Amino acid sequence: MDIYLYVEADTPLHRLDPRAKMLMLLALLLMAVAVDHPVLPGGLFLLVLVLAHVGRAWRSLRRVRTLLFIIGVFSTVTWSLFARGETPLFGPVQVEALLYGIGTGFKLVSTIAGSVVFLATTKNEEIATGLIRIGVPYPVAFAFSTALRLVPTFVGAGVTIIQAQKSRGLDVESGGFFQRLRKHLPLMVPVFAAAIRSTNQLAMALEAKGFGARPVRTYYLHLEFRPADWITAATGAALVVTALYLRLFSDALRIPGLIR
Amino acid sequence: MKELLTMWRHTRMIILVALTAAVYAAVLIPFKAIPLIPGITEIRVAQIIPPVASLLFGPAAAWGTAIGNLIGDLFGTFGPGSFFGFIGNFFLGFIPYALWGRLGFLSSGQEPAMRNSRQVVEFVAVVLVSAVACAVIIAWGLEVLGLLPFAVLGNIITLNNFIFPAIVGPILLGLLYGRVKRWGLLWTQIMPAEDISTGRGTVGTGLAIVGSFGAYVLGNWISISGGALPFAAGFGQFGDPAVVGKASLVWALAPFMLALLLALFLCRPRTDLAASAERGMAA
Amino acid sequence: MERADLTEAAQLASVDGNWAIKADGVSFTYSGAGRKALDGLNLAIRAGEFTVIAGASGAGKSTFCYCCNGLIPHFVRGQLDGDVRVFGRSTGSSKINQLAQDVGLVFQDFEAQLFSTNVELEVAFGPENFALPREEIRRRVRESLATVGLTGLERREPATLSGGQKQRLAIASVLAMEPRVIVMDEPTTDLDPVGKEGVFRVARQLRERAEFTMVVAEHETEEAIGADRVVVLDGGRIVADGSPRAVLARADWLEELGVQPLGAAQVLARLGEPVALTVEEAAARLADRGYRIDPASAARQDAAEAARAAGYGEVVLEARDLAYTYPNGVAALSGANLSVRRGEFVAVVGQNGSGKTTLVKHFNGLLAPTAGEVTVLGRPTTGQSVLQLGRSVGYVFQNPDHQIFAETVFDEVAFGPRNHGVPPGEVKERVAEALAAVGLAGRDREDPFAMTKGERQRVAVASVLATRPHVIVLDEPTTGLDYREQRRMMDLVRRLNEAGHTVIIVTHTMWVVAEYAHRTVVVKDGAIWLDGPTRAVMAREEELLAASLKPPQVVRLGNRLGRAFLSVAEAVRLLERPEAAGDAAPDDAAPGRAAGRGGRG
Repeated sequence: MDIYLYVEADTPLHRLDPRAKMLMLLALLLMAVAVDHPVLPGGLFLLVLVLAHVGRAWRSLRRVRTLLFIIGVFSTVTWSLFARGETPLFGPVQVEALLYGIGTGFKLVSTIAGSVVFLATTKNEEIATGLIRIGVPYPVAFAFSTALRLVPTFVGAGVTIIQAQKSRGLDVESGGFFQRLRKHLPLMVPVFAAAIRSTNQLAMALEAKGFGARPVRTYYLHLEFRPADWITAATGAALVVTALYLRLFSDALRIPGLIR
Repeated sequence: MKELLTMWRHTRMIILVALTAAVYAAVLIPFKAIPLIPGITEIRVAQIIPPVASLLFGPAAAWGTAIGNLIGDLFGTFGPGSFFGFIGNFFLGFIPYALWGRLGFLSSGQEPAMRNSRQVVEFVAVVLVSAVACAVIIAWGLEVLGLLPFAVLGNIITLNNFIFPAIVGPILLGLLYGRVKRWGLLWTQIMPAEDISTGRGTVGTGLAIVGSFGAYVLGNWISISGGALPFAAGFGQFGDPAVVGKASLVWALAPFMLALLLALFLCRPRTDLAASAERGMAA
Repeated sequence: MERADLTEAAQLASVDGNWAIKADGVSFTYSGAGRKALDGLNLAIRAGEFTVIAGASGAGKSTFCYCCNGLIPHFVRGQLDGDVRVFGRSTGSSKINQLAQDVGLVFQDFEAQLFSTNVELEVAFGPENFALPREEIRRRVRESLATVGLTGLERREPATLSGGQKQRLAIASVLAMEPRVIVMDEPTTDLDPVGKEGVFRVARQLRERAEFTMVVAEHETEEAIGADRVVVLDGGRIVADGSPRAVLARADWLEELGVQPLGAAQVLARLGEPVALTVEEAAARLADRGYRIDPASAARQDAAEAARAAGYGEVVLEARDLAYTYPNGVAALSGANLSVRRGEFVAVVGQNGSGKTTLVKHFNGLLAPTAGEVTVLGRPTTGQSVLQLGRSVGYVFQNPDHQIFAETVFDEVAFGPRNHGVPPGEVKERVAEALAAVGLAGRDREDPFAMTKGERQRVAVASVLATRPHVIVLDEPTTGLDYREQRRMMDLVRRLNEAGHTVIIVTHTMWVVAEYAHRTVVVKDGAIWLDGPTRAVMAREEELLAASLKPPQVVRLGNRLGRAFLSVAEAVRLLERPEAAGDAAPDDAAPGRAAGRGGRG
């Protein structure tokens, strides 16, 4: 089952070290929230689209386009109403609030799209290894990557359980509100039971593979920082500093007259 | 607190982290959400998992819920909120087991087997605290980043974390508790007593409750009156605009966030309630 | 570091003879269980030996496997007495994760032993834990994957592999630790024939490599023929221990213990002839001794089957030019035609992925045709909901654990009727009736979760029966059950058919098809490949093989003699020997049987 966003390809983005990409993603997140004016987040969004093209991530981005659209609109509308400004536009909305709303919309959309590009070009195991290399303890990273491995298994089990109970006449769509809620029990119990039943099996298999046999273990997946990774990481670091500067010490790209 | 770290020594607990995370993330895909107000907000079926898993698997559920939420984000909603999502969901899985039996007159003084109404009342209470704690952490975090107003997210997440688990959770837990106990997979059956922190945890419980509800009430008040009232009632009635609005909300809630953080260290789960349970694994 | 361990172990081994595994007076009781899973077991396995451990569920096979690598007593809780030594080293005083380098364990459930997000990392996982150098791990990954035939799939996600591939991946991941003993606990129970064959092929290949000691717990005896030694367990004790020929020859005795006997051996044993383990050997022996199929009995049988076929009622299910393409673009069915009459007992067989399950899921509306039409009781399924169709067609899913949720058996079985709006009084009546039908009468207050797999499967059947459908579809009703439970389940299904239900089973267990189904439909590559009376379909061995299906021994034996036997009893009934009187006593030529008795433990 194809539930993850990864796209198999060999592009410069795919070849980058996951740690370099993580730093770049962090930089993107910080840059996006550094200022209120929509110009910077909007620009970042365009940059993400360029990166999506380079990383051949269009397929994955298409999968979340509805979500991006809803989030963008929702945020614009919400902030137009929640924030205040000096220049009335229409009804209760001021120009500054609308600008802020659009800016926030772009902040969310650009960061989510940026993450999608990251996920489309980085394998699950690279993320896990990257996490270990930046200091996440091995058992935690192990639980993370095992969960990633098991998600498709439980999605499959969930689909089968729904079909099995439907075959026995379960109809989650009908009935009153409380009834509909309660009708999820025949679905949730088997899902839980499936997980619980496999606990001992998985734990035994884990012991049988020598988990924790040595204080230090080897990591088969080798990550190596190449020049391109250094350049990316350095750019990322510079952007992080810029973002912090813009946020904390600079008045550039603020929206004058915005109150919130 | 201690058990959150020592659990990583036990393979069964590590596996339970992975399983909780996988189920939490997986259920989001095949199970359709139930519309609450069609088109506006809906109930995530998956939200029933954290409290139920918490009372069964203890610290494994805290980590599992946090990791599972992160994996859910990897399907396409990973963003600046994911960091706070991780922490908020950690509390969602942490608070129910940490506060069970610690709520004074609300507590049943029994294991969470959901065999009588007192246990159900206590379940609803711990779910409410965890729901609010998770919501205020995420809502505060996104307010810090200036992405969404506290009142919007704080209330949606609270509702989502509370309604479905409170209504269906007791029945689900009732169907599972005895069976899991028989299989020897309750966390208190897996982890030896010396790996679990001891004490009454009164301060921790208090901090968790004050932290969540305090932040919820104050956050909503500032967010709504400081932002929403003026466009209906005119400007300036709160004086200096710099004190109202975002900055004030972020700083005003900071002590409550600190309280929640401290609760993580000072809460002391009850381990004596299921103590009669035999430590064992069924064939 | 590893070398040092090995030499130390080797020295110990030389003290304690050349035993790879030596169990002395081993008893084990799971905590909370009332009876001993192993009861005073003494078993010594020589290095390099290939031993098959046979026995029914609960005989102690898995428990013995867990003893070999220290899961008992270190992980599984319970009371252990006696001593297990692996190359002279006591498992009680060694850690599991240290023993893991000596003993590799492959489990039955292939889903629950894979941890990684790609194939290559899964194989590397064990060696990584032992902190081997990366270059060494690379070599091991390459070699292990080559051994199990998964080379080229290094970057695949395990979730995208077939069951058989997953199990072979599990074997590779164990091989990569380069253990000296490989223990497999029913590695093929959950697999389809192709998957099974793949695993057995790997096992045979490993066996030829002298460095491995292999212990395989199995309840399928056909693969035990190639073993050095067969040990039969019952109630935690050894009840037979000897060469495959000696042990497997005692077919009826094995069957009583709940171990599936070899059809060829059983036929010969019942005829009082010297033992034979393979079809060729048995066919030659029978021809030699002058056996032939009695034409009069065969004619009577044909007449009876023709009469049965003529007695079926109207068409209840029909698929016309049915095609189905999954949303992801995979075409699972292309132009399938099938019609089933009231009272039939049909087996739909085929490989995983052949489209057989896709086909039957159309009959209760779980899937809607992409093209073509499906009718149930004369009405097209399109436009009818699963809820409506469920009143006519009951569907029992493969894994009962995917549906069991209620606190009591009663509530579980009552779930369907309640959903259909049956009044409470009648629900009670229906539940009682359904439980009686599956042999669980009076157990309605029990917790279904605490029942055995076979009982849970019967609860699932009862929960469908309680909705009183005309047609019952059972998806893989015998998978994961041992031989005795498989028989009990299928006897139940036969009774349902005799009571008037139209029955469709989806399966790849060919002996079940031969013995129980009246009609067999073979699905291959999304189309109907063969369709006819079971006896006629079973006679077409080559076409079945093309669909990766292999009839059971007794059928193949019959085919050699000119008529497909559907069961051992039938073979014995049909075979006659006109010149029987003047022959020598068969026991003169039966050394195997004598050895079999001698080898009794």
